[in-house]
Amino acid sequence: MNETGAPILGARALRREYGREAGLVRAVDGVDLDVAAGETLAVMGPSGCGKSTLLHLLGGLDRPTSGELVLAGQRIDHLGERALARLRLGTVGFVFQAFHLMDELTAAENVELPALLAGVSPRRARRRATDLLEHVGLADRARFLPSALSGGQRQRVAVARALANEPLIVLADEPTGNLDSEATLDVLRLFDSLHTAGQTLVVVTHDARIAATADRMISMRDGAFVDETRLTGGSTGSLGTLAGLEG
Amino acid sequence: MQQEVVLALLAKEPSHGYQLRARLREALGPVGDAMNAGQIYVTLTRLEKAGLVASEPSAGLADRPDRKVYALTPAGQQRVADWLTEVSWPRPDLAEFHLKLVAAAAAGLADPIAIVDTQRRELLRRLRDAQRAAMAEPDRSAAGLLLEGIVLRLQADLRWLEACERTWTPRRDQS
Amino acid sequence: MAPGLGRDLRHHPAQAFLLLLAITAATATLALGLALHGVTSQPYQRTRAATNGPDVVAYLPVLHRPGRVAQPPAQVTTLVHDPGVTGHSGPFPLVGAVVRARGRAAPAEAEGRSQAPAVIDQPKLTAGSWVRPGGVVIERTFAGALGVGVGDRVTLNGRPFTVAGIAVTAANPPYPNLCYTGGGGCWASPIDRGTYPAAAATGLIWVTGPDADRLATSADPLSTYVLNLKLSDPARAQAFANAHGKGNNAGLTSSPGLAAWPGIAAADGLLVQDEQQVLSPGSWLACLLAVASVAVLAGGRMAEHTRRVGLLKAVGGTPGLVALVLLAENLIVALAAAAAGLAIGFLAAPLITSPGAGLVGSPGAPSLTLPTAGLVIAVALAVALAATLAPAVRAARTSTVSALADAARPPRRRARLIALSARLPVPLLLGLRLTARRLRRAVLSAASIAVTVTGIVAVLAFHATARLTRFGGSAGLANPVISRDEQMLTVLTVMLVTLAVLNVIVTAWATALDARHSSALARALGATPQQASAAVSAAQVLPALPGALLGIPLGIGLFALASGSGTVTVPPASWLAATVLGTLVAVAGLTAIPARIAARRPAAAILQSGLG
Repeated sequence: MNETGAPILGARALRREYGREAGLVRAVDGVDLDVAAGETLAVMGPSGCGKSTLLHLLGGLDRPTSGELVLAGQRIDHLGERALARLRLGTVGFVFQAFHLMDELTAAENVELPALLAGVSPRRARRRATDLLEHVGLADRARFLPSALSGGQRQRVAVARALANEPLIVLADEPTGNLDSEATLDVLRLFDSLHTAGQTLVVVTHDARIAATADRMISMRDGAFVDETRLTGGSTGSLGTLAGLEG
Repeated sequence: MQQEVVLALLAKEPSHGYQLRARLREALGPVGDAMNAGQIYVTLTRLEKAGLVASEPSAGLADRPDRKVYALTPAGQQRVADWLTEVSWPRPDLAEFHLKLVAAAAAGLADPIAIVDTQRRELLRRLRDAQRAAMAEPDRSAAGLLLEGIVLRLQADLRWLEACERTWTPRRDQS
Repeated sequence: MAPGLGRDLRHHPAQAFLLLLAITAATATLALGLALHGVTSQPYQRTRAATNGPDVVAYLPVLHRPGRVAQPPAQVTTLVHDPGVTGHSGPFPLVGAVVRARGRAAPAEAEGRSQAPAVIDQPKLTAGSWVRPGGVVIERTFAGALGVGVGDRVTLNGRPFTVAGIAVTAANPPYPNLCYTGGGGCWASPIDRGTYPAAAATGLIWVTGPDADRLATSADPLSTYVLNLKLSDPARAQAFANAHGKGNNAGLTSSPGLAAWPGIAAADGLLVQDEQQVLSPGSWLACLLAVASVAVLAGGRMAEHTRRVGLLKAVGGTPGLVALVLLAENLIVALAAAAAGLAIGFLAAPLITSPGAGLVGSPGAPSLTLPTAGLVIAVALAVALAATLAPAVRAARTSTVSALADAARPPRRRARLIALSARLPVPLLLGLRLTARRLRRAVLSAASIAVTVTGIVAVLAFHATARLTRFGGSAGLANPVISRDEQMLTVLTVMLVTLAVLNVIVTAWATALDARHSSALARALGATPQQASAAVSAAQVLPALPGALLGIPLGIGLFALASGSGTVTVPPASWLAATVLGTLVAVAGLTAIPARIAARRPAAAILQSGLG
């Protein structure tokens, strides 16, 4: 874990461009960001605003065109693919919108995979996977294939997988994009419990419900941040008026 | 409308005022927390005046409203029956906000985008509160269902506000 | 439908090209074999016509009387005046002689001829002129083995001669099959064996009559005359020979040994038969490899076709129609490949096999007969059909809904392999799981490697044997049969290896395509690009190992079968080890390239493109 106060993740003037000259696309255009330890940060914006690209940059899945990126005290914007991979293995957990589980592996085998990649012994990796599945409430489905699980269950398995190597930060890209509202609730609860446990979390979403679970919400448009909202602190209305009760 | 609710709560059997209050509390959960304790007695009195409800003092103490027993009159029962089959839905009130933006932009009083952002922030906070409360409820509780309704409507309102933001941005450039 | 076909071929030109290559290689090998087969009997006939070859050749032993000059035996008259005989030439004396040329020594039969052309069996000169005093004419293959040409000096039994000319004949099988019993046998091999290597084969030389007499020594006197006969009914040549001759070996009896022209023709064909023996199993191997390549290609393309099948069925296509459409695309390529293979095969045939230098000329371009062309086209279509049938049927059978919904055949789960892989280092872990996803393709891969190694090991066994049977070691003459076989085998090996490389590349492409998502995912989870590309390589090396090992006993067995000798030759262990290792290294190398290319794309891009 980090010393309190120092951000886990920091970005300065982060840029990611594609194409050239007339066809130049600035997916991420000068982003400054700090994510404190234990914080849940939500990034909202319309489709094509660059939030997924930003997340890929933050997690080392993609390299920025320019700018500084510091993760756990180490500059990562100039690292090669190999070093980035090593970093992702130990420091970052990813949750994708399309789940991206391996179809032919059971839930437990999916969850233990990052640990196996990190060189953990098969027995320990399996034990960790079982623990994580219990943590997300799917202990009884450890032997199920993804095709036998519902969307919400698959995403929970994906979250368990993201936690396999005890990452410093979990990055989630539209985690409820493919889920119905009941499954969304399950995932919401899971994220909430992660937050309570002190996990640092950055979520990209256009679902306001997910954003509402965060400590801080950032609006993004055309590759840049346009607004920031602190969501801690009370609201002005009571629930009663929201429900239509007068007085 | 709240009058009809109280009438309906009396339909099962005559009850004391405090019993009605308890039933309401149970059905509303945390949403009903801010409700005025005396509100229900005011409503009961109005209903009595309208002839939909009749009260009887309970055995013992007299003239204390919280000790009276209330019951539906035949007119009251009819009113409940009619109410149950009504299909009117709570009126949306988007026009006020929409006109707020139009007026602000036209008169140059304020930036519509700033108004939208401020409103969004507020709605987000409310969404957070409602969601928190919803997650604290056990599965399938009546109160939980109500909270989910609140959450979904807030979500819908927020979507509309996003649309407002998108639409008003070029307009701002024009004005 | 037709525009759809064209579109598909245009969109995947690389696949269509690979398919074309695979089937072309198989049809070319087949066409080559067929062209060769058609060539067998022709040159002998041509030589026979050009030299006015005999229907029957009689070898008449002469009893030696010391001190007296040998005279032709009395049987000559009997034979010449037989009612079935319409003409004769000879009798010509046969003398054994040791030929020395360019530092080499070899045994030979010298036939004494007149300078005037003979009526029957006048050898056709391919270079130089006919015999003269002091000038000899050497049989063409023998001259090639000796390495002499017109004008060179040779010695026969120590006496100096000049090579006056080089010729071919239809009365004897060419070197080194002169002594082949069916072709007449050798009657005058020189006895003085110390002067030439023991395993050497005898060759044929023509000299003038007086020169032949002078060559006879007291130790090795003139003992045989040869008489060439023409029959009124050539078809009865064998019956005539059986009636008049008893046994063929010199020295055993004093009755003549007769050889009929069919036996000589067969002996002529020995050289070509050997080549056929090499070419037939080779063609089969090549065909097998081609089928394997095509199957993998077709299987890979089927994955993309399943969707189109769904669409076709949704608009009302019957399963039969659907299968037809899918097959039609591959058949177009197959037809093109058949044409290309025919062209290559028939153009290459004369280059590889001038059928025994001892027969007249090269046959030129063997004629492309309709049955041959038909057979090759049929085989090409059959290969395409066989390989695409299973996927086509399966695609046609899948319900429309699932065809539209699914992008590809979902991988099967192999629990035990997955559990096993957990203990392995990361590249093998991922690689073994990749293999397990498509077990059928891995088996196909292993099979094609097995086929290739079988071919290579058979060639190695041949080389091991050839070393043993080279005439008299390196100092002796090269056996043209062996060297011709070596040529053939080299060509075949090259073809097999090319097909195998093709196969590996095709499988690598299909595997890389299939592995795109899981490789990208593994990299997103933290595997390095090197580990991911090593995994794709490992996914192919793992099945290649048992394939290569299996190829060793199969190759030894194949050679034992093909050579017909029945003896099992095991090539040296170092050669076998080198083959297996070389195969694995080659597979790893070939698959590393597409794997590295795939691994260089950022993982995010692949995952975002919506796979999985």
